[in-house]
Amino acid sequence: MMRRLRKITPFQVALVTSFTALAAFMSLPIIFILNHAFKPQNELFLFPPRFLVQNPTMRNLESLLLHASNATVPFTRYLFNSIIVAGLTLACVILVSTMAGYVLAKHKFHFKQLVLALITLSLMFAPETVGIPRYLIISGLGINNTYLGHILPALASPVAVFMLVGFISQIPGEVLEAAKIDGASQVGIFTRMVLPLSMPAIATISIFTFQGVWGDVETSTLFMQEETMRTMAFYVNSLLSGLQNSVAGQNMAAAAALLIFVPNLIIFLLFQRRVLETMVHSGIK
Amino acid sequence: MQAKERVRAKRLYNMGRYGTGLLFMLPWIIGFAVFVLVPVSWSLFMAFNKVQVAAGGLKYEWIGMRNFRDAFLKDNIFPIELITYFQEMLLMVPIIVIFALLIALMLNQKFPGRFIYRALFFLPVIFATGQVLSELFLQGAGDIPFLDQYNLQPMVEEYIGEQFSTTVMAVLGRAVLILWYSGVQILIFIAGFQTISPTIYEAVRIDGASPWDSFWKITLPACVPFISLNVLYTIIDLFTFPLNPVLKHIRDNMFKVDTGYGYASALAWVYFAFIFALIAIVLWLFNRSLNKRRVHS
Repeated sequence: MMRRLRKITPFQVALVTSFTALAAFMSLPIIFILNHAFKPQNELFLFPPRFLVQNPTMRNLESLLLHASNATVPFTRYLFNSIIVAGLTLACVILVSTMAGYVLAKHKFHFKQLVLALITLSLMFAPETVGIPRYLIISGLGINNTYLGHILPALASPVAVFMLVGFISQIPGEVLEAAKIDGASQVGIFTRMVLPLSMPAIATISIFTFQGVWGDVETSTLFMQEETMRTMAFYVNSLLSGLQNSVAGQNMAAAAALLIFVPNLIIFLLFQRRVLETMVHSGIK
Repeated sequence: MQAKERVRAKRLYNMGRYGTGLLFMLPWIIGFAVFVLVPVSWSLFMAFNKVQVAAGGLKYEWIGMRNFRDAFLKDNIFPIELITYFQEMLLMVPIIVIFALLIALMLNQKFPGRFIYRALFFLPVIFATGQVLSELFLQGAGDIPFLDQYNLQPMVEEYIGEQFSTTVMAVLGRAVLILWYSGVQILIFIAGFQTISPTIYEAVRIDGASPWDSFWKITLPACVPFISLNVLYTIIDLFTFPLNPVLKHIRDNMFKVDTGYGYASALAWVYFAFIFALIAIVLWLFNRSLNKRRVHS
């Protein structure tokens, strides 16, 4: 309170200046990606590389679309796959993990402690290392080369449940009890009370899930053998890894990197208020 | 008779309540069991086998602990990678946490436009995905030019000796990464500061404490749980980082003919064992300091 009454002090000026400098430093890579995609061929190979583009062109995007439409699988197919997979996964993850988070936070049942412990433990596991058993399971279930093969592995996300449990336990139990006394069923309580009340947390997990699914290459590499079922992240990755030393495709790679990056930015800008809210409330108080 | 009936009624009631709980959990439990639990235990089983791709599936050959022994005795990359990475982490984790603490302290001050800055510091977390990162490192945007320009390596070597200088230089080279990886930690700290009631600060100020004192005597002790949370988060974050050399080595071994997937899973389990040990130590230390405080107060 005291601070607000004061006028701007030299300390504040110093603070703002140093933060601006730091923030500018942190946003350099983002500016770099944005500019890189619009650089013409000769600027892409300038040494030392420049951050800002001198003569912006749309050539890179154009050639990405044209190149891919000449190839066996058109670029739009990858894009379509990515959108379908990301959308469906997002919806399923939200539903499944809110349900799990709700009962973990507000109900009693067998093995609850075990499930909570498993969630915390599995946060530490790097998914890359279990690729092959996963592949065996996927092919055992016979869902290679289907969208299910993309969606199901991402379904049981420990991170999402972890955050939701923290957030939902903040909702006072009395509210839910009141709904019950007024005659709401369990499903009613879930859809009418828990879902709307945990909206901020849902926004957060949708950012994280979207980001994970949108950039995921593992499912495309391991579970999809048909090129037509693979996602854009895979395509971009194969462009990047095949082109480390070559000259020809660099412009396409730069444009593709931008395409991977922009949806993340949009989703983040849509939900960022909510993220900050959840982080402040979830699990740690 | 009545007592028996009551017990039965209670059990039925509990069954009903437990039933809804389990029903709501069911989709998640199935997904988790099929795609996390089974693969993880399968990989533990494979770690004790020599796994070869044969016609019509995988061929297992039980070899006991040999994969684990090979990891330390035969492999001339894995132990070294592991040790260097752990050295780096032991430096990186405190740096990230302290940096996050400082930034959070400053962001907690009141100044115009601090919401924009909070969002800005969180932004990199969203973008720090595999593709974007590897693309940036490929382009060299993650490096800091002044390290080479001013030739810092010999200077660092002179002060702290040769065996540590490579580690220190590697950490310095990742300064951008440190900045990028502190977004979540900063938020956790800011959330933590909000739990300290402002009346305490007022009381201390009336008693004549300087801001410096009130930081050491109030802010820091109140933040111990958040510091421990942040240390854990940072450890997990860094160890599952996609560009991490140990994980890369594990991935490389997965598709090698002579070592195969069994060996790779053994490496992965060794790696996780180390992480678990580290986390256990951290937890133990923090719990001890928390208990001590409780005894004192």
